[in-house]
Amino acid sequence: MQIIEKLTKKKEMGILVMIIVLSIILAFANSNFLTLNNIFDFLRSNAVLGIMAFGVLPVLLTGGIDLSISSTIALCAVVAGEFMLAFPSSNILIVIIISMAVGAVVGAINGLIITKFDIPPIVATLGTQTIILAGVLLYTNGVWISGLPQWFISFGQIQLGAFHSVGKVVGLSMQVILLIVAGLITWLIIKYTLLGRGIYAIGGNKQSAMRVGYNVNKITIFVYIFAGLMTGLAAVTHISIVGQVDPNTYLNYEMDVFAIVFIGGTSVVGGFGTVLGTSLGIVLMAIIKNGLVLAKVPTYWQKVVMGLIILLTVSVDVINRKREQAKLVRVDVEEEEVDKRE
Amino acid sequence: MKKKLLSMLLVVAMTASMALTGCGSGDKAASGSAKADAGSDDGEYTIVVMPKLTGIPYFTATGEGATKAGEDLGVNVIYNGPTTADAAQQVTMIEDYITQGVDAICVAPNDAAAMTAVLKKARDAGIIILDWDTAADPSLVDASIHNIDDVAFGEHMMQDLVKFMGTDDAQYAIITGGLSAENLNGWIAAAQAYAEKNYPNLELVADPYPTDEKQDVAYSTTQDVMKAYPDVKGILGFSTPTGPGCGLAIRDLGLQDQVSLVANAMEDDVQDVLSDGSLDEGCLWDCNDLGYLTVCVAKSLLDGNKLEDGMDVDGWGTIEVQDDKNVILGPAADYKAK
Repeated sequence: MQIIEKLTKKKEMGILVMIIVLSIILAFANSNFLTLNNIFDFLRSNAVLGIMAFGVLPVLLTGGIDLSISSTIALCAVVAGEFMLAFPSSNILIVIIISMAVGAVVGAINGLIITKFDIPPIVATLGTQTIILAGVLLYTNGVWISGLPQWFISFGQIQLGAFHSVGKVVGLSMQVILLIVAGLITWLIIKYTLLGRGIYAIGGNKQSAMRVGYNVNKITIFVYIFAGLMTGLAAVTHISIVGQVDPNTYLNYEMDVFAIVFIGGTSVVGGFGTVLGTSLGIVLMAIIKNGLVLAKVPTYWQKVVMGLIILLTVSVDVINRKREQAKLVRVDVEEEEVDKRE
Repeated sequence: MKKKLLSMLLVVAMTASMALTGCGSGDKAASGSAKADAGSDDGEYTIVVMPKLTGIPYFTATGEGATKAGEDLGVNVIYNGPTTADAAQQVTMIEDYITQGVDAICVAPNDAAAMTAVLKKARDAGIIILDWDTAADPSLVDASIHNIDDVAFGEHMMQDLVKFMGTDDAQYAIITGGLSAENLNGWIAAAQAYAEKNYPNLELVADPYPTDEKQDVAYSTTQDVMKAYPDVKGILGFSTPTGPGCGLAIRDLGLQDQVSLVANAMEDDVQDVLSDGSLDEGCLWDCNDLGYLTVCVAKSLLDGNKLEDGMDVDGWGTIEVQDDKNVILGPAADYKAK
């Protein structure tokens, strides 16, 4: 009994229920929906947004925001693509490291601008977003980079534990593995390190965090570098799916990424949010996009249904939270403890 | 203090970066006009060709054609446009060119209505006005360069799809760049109308699926559509990212031989998917030629010629003219595996 009570109190409950209900409906609408093949497919299609969502989660937890990720992924993808054309005999590890390094540099610049000069993150990252995008378009003229080496294309096709089922090869693709690794790393950092506690503390109250002894500037710079690193990984993941680099394709990516994180229950002003919530956000977005087509929902209605589901999920979450807070209003200490445990 | 300084620096950097790309060829434009002033003495024309935006492969290719025509014909060509598809920026840029006193302005308007006032002003200044790629207010232009006959193009893609499917008794799906793009919708309507009339047994499974002009969305949408409608035998892709995107999906599904795909594409981007029949045929017009023809017609008008169907234009040859003003580039260019 107690376990059930504990479960229903979890903030991720609303979105989990939504995922289960939707899955049941969609499974009835199309028997293909709940096949392993389809699940792996839609996870693969959403791996890029997912990795970026894990990347910006710590930033959003500190109450910051990183608008530059959509330009950073374009930059990383172009650098990775050009590198592979220039050194066709290198290997995937080097490509990933280079792409992540480029992302880290952008993140460090963001972090430094924000901390050293105390500029609001939304302004600072809007600036870097514009500058980087302009630079990428100046350099590439928007022309696609094609003809990537065969070993890279093969890397994108790798399926772990592949087996044949109903005449199709089913397996966990490389992109999904990268997504899971990104999620695990993020989870370990924010849940089990002092750094992670500092991230939540800054989002809760910057002044208190400082007084308690957290190095707010260092932590802030770290979260932006982390976002850059993950964006670099997402860039390689993206070009490994499509096999070409289209510098214009990443426009407005940041909006889809934020949507995932916020649907996953992360507070818009920082302070709370979890890797589990973000993971569920990724799954929900993936299910909606994939399921609406499979359920043969008419094209023009798809966006309407999508918006409704998002609103419904978030409002269930908010109502739950309000109810909880109403209960805890008298005992402030307890509420803080709950927040810390998140 | 520091904070103020940095925010100012940021603002400067942002405007600088916008200016850099916004007028990606700002320097070129300036030197072009300088040459124009000098050149007006020896009778050299200055022709401005303005795309909807710069920095995408399509308008990069049209720019190469326009510049090449300038070299071949001995006229100054300024190829310049905004970095985003922004009508307001086009208006400002055209006003600058009016002040500079160019001879002809060829514009691909982002919003025809927004152009009207400034084009009127340019006309009053004695500048020859052309539109290309997308039509402006017909009463204000001296010539309108159409990349393709919209109806003929849609019908052509439909015919070729049936040809590749080898049957007109099947299901097909349409995947498009976006639901609000007027030109794409025009081609789709023509293709659908043609199918309804000529292939009564051909069944469109659902309304066109939008893909946000993104290759990876085209990829995952194609996969999803094939799961929702496993009997689909043919796919029509409209807008250039659908060629490589849908093609890759068909390859990864292993359906090269079961599903035919005819889609818009830039030729260089689809060589790979064409090679194994994932994409059966890429369709578009020749983008270089579109820029080239625009400059040729502009020069011909500046020389004092009047447009007539079947007339010869310097540097191009015979042109097709409809309704006195509309110059048609020609039939679709189809790409097959090289």
